[in-house]
Amino acid sequence: MMNRRAIIAIARKDIRSITANIQVWLPMFMVPIIFSVLLPIIVAFSARASQGDIVSDMQIILDMLEKLPESSLRRIVGSLRTDQQKIAYIMFNYFMSPFFLMIPLMAASTVSIDSFVGEKERGTLEGLLLASVNMRSIFTAKVLAAFLPAIGVSLVSFVLFGVCANVSAWPLFGKIFFPHINWAPLVLLVMPAVSLFAILINVFISARVSTFQAGYQLGALLVLPLLAVMIGQFTGFMLLDTGILLAIGAILVSVDYALLRIIVRRLDRAWLFESQVR
Amino acid sequence: MIQVEDVTKRYGEQRAVASLSFHVADGEILGLIGPNGAGKTTTIRILCGVVKPNSGKVRVAGYDPGERGDEVRSRIGVLTETAALYPNLSGIENLRFFAKLYGADDPDRPDESIEEFGLGEHKNRKAGTYSTGMKKRLGLAKALLHKPSILLLDEPTSGLDPAGIAMVLEEIERLSKEKGVTVVLCSHVLHQLETVCRSYVIIDRGQALAQGTVRELAESHPGPCIVEVDTDYALEGNAHCGVPARRLPTGHIQFILSSRDKVPRLIRELSQNASVYSVALKGEDLQSVYFRLTEGAHDE
Repeated sequence: MMNRRAIIAIARKDIRSITANIQVWLPMFMVPIIFSVLLPIIVAFSARASQGDIVSDMQIILDMLEKLPESSLRRIVGSLRTDQQKIAYIMFNYFMSPFFLMIPLMAASTVSIDSFVGEKERGTLEGLLLASVNMRSIFTAKVLAAFLPAIGVSLVSFVLFGVCANVSAWPLFGKIFFPHINWAPLVLLVMPAVSLFAILINVFISARVSTFQAGYQLGALLVLPLLAVMIGQFTGFMLLDTGILLAIGAILVSVDYALLRIIVRRLDRAWLFESQVR
Repeated sequence: MIQVEDVTKRYGEQRAVASLSFHVADGEILGLIGPNGAGKTTTIRILCGVVKPNSGKVRVAGYDPGERGDEVRSRIGVLTETAALYPNLSGIENLRFFAKLYGADDPDRPDESIEEFGLGEHKNRKAGTYSTGMKKRLGLAKALLHKPSILLLDEPTSGLDPAGIAMVLEEIERLSKEKGVTVVLCSHVLHQLETVCRSYVIIDRGQALAQGTVRELAESHPGPCIVEVDTDYALEGNAHCGVPARRLPTGHIQFILSSRDKVPRLIRELSQNASVYSVALKGEDLQSVYFRLTEGAHDE
């Protein structure tokens, strides 16, 4: 049975340890937020200023769009009047999507890797494991402590990004053009599912490595699938219909659930204590 | 309350506990003593259910800690050597956090506890800035938050000043007498244990060498009877009437007798020739018995 009181106490204590340390929260919160403000302004101004060579370079992508299966994004881009509008629309609604998968990974990695090995390095893991709180509750608290700030930072970044995108590209569109409907399943389903996946793996790594550094090195490997997604951009991942994105999100949630069950079953207090506490 | 039967624990090739057996009765204060690396901390961890023995039977409050660890941990208060406090939280925040983990429902309990251990003035300071003694007291307050019926204390007085030591030992005695709390106390400072413990388990290289009160241990493992006498007798040489003797730096004379039966005669003889102010039997205190037992085990 889950110990809700202990889960809230552990998660709150872990989140507080992030906010209490400027070296932890500054890169975690500020980098995504700065990117969310600066990037749309740079992209909008580039699109507005694009002429000649840039437009011809983007023509390759516009041509690629034409060859992809029928989708709402393709239809909208096709209906836009100027090349600048098309470039801005594709940049904001298509190329930026992996960025919003990257933000929760960045925001969650430090906290999730720190979850167990950090307690070990500070000499507090022993006290935590000696409490009458079952491992499932401790694990859940550790996951929540990484998941909630990561999703919070990601959503705030997304809203900031949307506001900056619409404001800076207003001269091009004269109306709100961001976000495309595909962002809804991406932000509300795929992004939390991907970040939960990364957090589960990181917390599991954290329970097994001997130092935070070692955990961080291993956890960094999780960026590799994201690079695959970025490459996949060129094959039209974001051009998929909302229904297919929802299906992908559902598959990811199922993978997370299965992973959660496997990890919880394998987390053994005595094993963790004997391997991590001296 | 606590039963340990033939318990063995290995870490790879290293044997931490070997065929260890002992028991602790309800409300008893038991001293678990032994040299460094004897297996005391591993034993405490086995009792808490965070280390699983390779073989043997353990029961704490009727539960097997390996199988029903949460039931056991909800009944025990543990003080580890490092106190395991969060350095970035204040003293009171540490207690409030652990109160939630331990299911201590009374919201005033953390404040009461921190005051009880004399840390009220410092409760809003970060625990990382506390001295070793303050951390130890906060660790004890933490261990007692949920009013456990069993206390497992690993070196509870290390790092404390004399007043702190006295306070901790008095608190342990009070808990045992008034609340019937069962206490297992690990320490190297044997004379401190003698003031609170009723019985002892002497452990070496993972094995219990003996269990009992000091008197029982002394009787079952007899040795030379050492008597320290505060007297103005002028000792010449290294013997008095055939009894080996030497003057100690304290000014007292130490006599080594073959048995305690010979003590009255020695004191009578001394009194005839000089003044005798005090007599202390040293061969039957905990420290002497402990050294006899551990040295005997090493000789074997």
